Amino acid sequence: MAEDPTHDSKRVDPMEPWRGMRDIYMDAWGKTMVDMVNSEAYAQATGAMLDTYMTVSAPFREAVEKAMLKTLEQLAMPSKADVVSIAERMTNIEMRLDDLDAKLDNIQRLIVHAGTAPRPQAGNAPQPSKEKTTKAKQAKKGKR
Amino acid sequence: MAEDTVITDPVTAAEDRLKTLTKVMTTKAPIAQTPKELVWTLNKSKLYRYIPVLPKEKRHPIPVLLVFALMNRPYILDLRRGHSFVEYMLNKGYDLYLLDWGAPGPEDKNLRFDDYTLDYMPRAIRKLKAISGVKEFSLLGWCIGAILTTIYAALRGDEGLRNLILLTAPLDFSNKQDLTFARWTDERYFDVDKVLATFGNMPGEMIDYGAKALKPVENYVGNYVKLWDNIDDPRMVEAWHAMNTWVTDNVPLAGGVFRQLIVDLYRDDKLMRGELVIRGERVEISRIHANLLTVIAESDHITPSCQSEPIMSKVSSADKELFRVKGGHIGIMAGSGASKHTWPHIDGWLAPRSR
Repeated sequence: MAEDPTHDSKRVDPMEPWRGMRDIYMDAWGKTMVDMVNSEAYAQATGAMLDTYMTVSAPFREAVEKAMLKTLEQLAMPSKADVVSIAERMTNIEMRLDDLDAKLDNIQRLIVHAGTAPRPQAGNAPQPSKEKTTKAKQAKKGKR
Repeated sequence: MAEDTVITDPVTAAEDRLKTLTKVMTTKAPIAQTPKELVWTLNKSKLYRYIPVLPKEKRHPIPVLLVFALMNRPYILDLRRGHSFVEYMLNKGYDLYLLDWGAPGPEDKNLRFDDYTLDYMPRAIRKLKAISGVKEFSLLGWCIGAILTTIYAALRGDEGLRNLILLTAPLDFSNKQDLTFARWTDERYFDVDKVLATFGNMPGEMIDYGAKALKPVENYVGNYVKLWDNIDDPRMVEAWHAMNTWVTDNVPLAGGVFRQLIVDLYRDDKLMRGELVIRGERVEISRIHANLLTVIAESDHITPSCQSEPIMSKVSSADKELFRVKGGHIGIMAGSGASKHTWPHIDGWLAPRSR
């Protein structure tokens, strides 16, 4: 342990008082800054800066977008709007696939359930479909 | 140890420190190392299932879905080996799923809370149920993820939601005095329509700036001073590197969601007032019946406790608990004390409710 440099540096650290001073200063600075960013004046100033940036940069951005659009047209390349449109359609297709996946999961669950359910005895097997068909036929006849 | 004893020369030591500093500032730490499989995707969203580490008979039957914020990467829940909430919960026998929202592109600028809570979440949950073979599940929402899970719980809570865990949930926006974000995005100073017309989605860098500017000295200066002070401690450096990798990996927030967040929540506080309408349905907090655990970080400067507490009196849950823990917005789940306080409490609450 005598060779451990960290142990030695902790024992004789000329920077320790400086660090203490630094931490006290940073705490005070931090509190002042927190008060500042919490003020209405800061909110107003940052809002104004952002607004100015957006207003000033808007013509340049529009010019770049128009130039890019024309360039892409000349090169027979899809524009950003085209790509966005395809991406939206892809998401719609994904949703349809997810709907199908849900139905397949449901069918699989029913098959598994039917496979594990106890099979009815041959003599006691209920005949719900026939009864329904007969009743339905009678109902139809009655209506006529 | 051999390397440690060699470093006696101050020049060599300083050189090594600079090398370490350069490494952690310019490289990405190995993060999100817990094995998982991709089980569902939709647009940029992905549902992962973490590979269980315990045999089925020792696992809790009710799966847990983790939902993190939209504008940060969710791997904060699985930050690094040996210090990962995911790893901890897997070892406690949970069947864990993670919903990763991904990064929205220009085509997603109109996505709203409506889409995330009524399209993406129900579909992901359906897949979770199909894979797990159960009808019930638990939801854990953190930050904006807690807004999403709360809306989901109010609108679709009757579709098998048994337990709801909300971490640092910004739900109540009535106390404008304590909300710096509310002041910055006040309609007198901040034109949300102009911002979204300019950027489409809210850029990740702007959101990052907003979060850091709440405590500028701490985030822009103190963070690096702390690293320099502990540069000889490999464990500390590893933790800092992992956290810095996560902090600098921001994603944009879909324009539609950002507008709802600012206008409907920060300005009009519609969620807690029962006026938020999602695809024609009014979101009523009182329709939440699931068992509820709300976790509040006592030193949270992003989501002060006044934003998370009021839900406790509005839900209809018979079983509810408010848990306060020392730490900040992220620190309570990813800080050094998380494995001693927050994680065990979540496990202690969830385990008996997952049988």
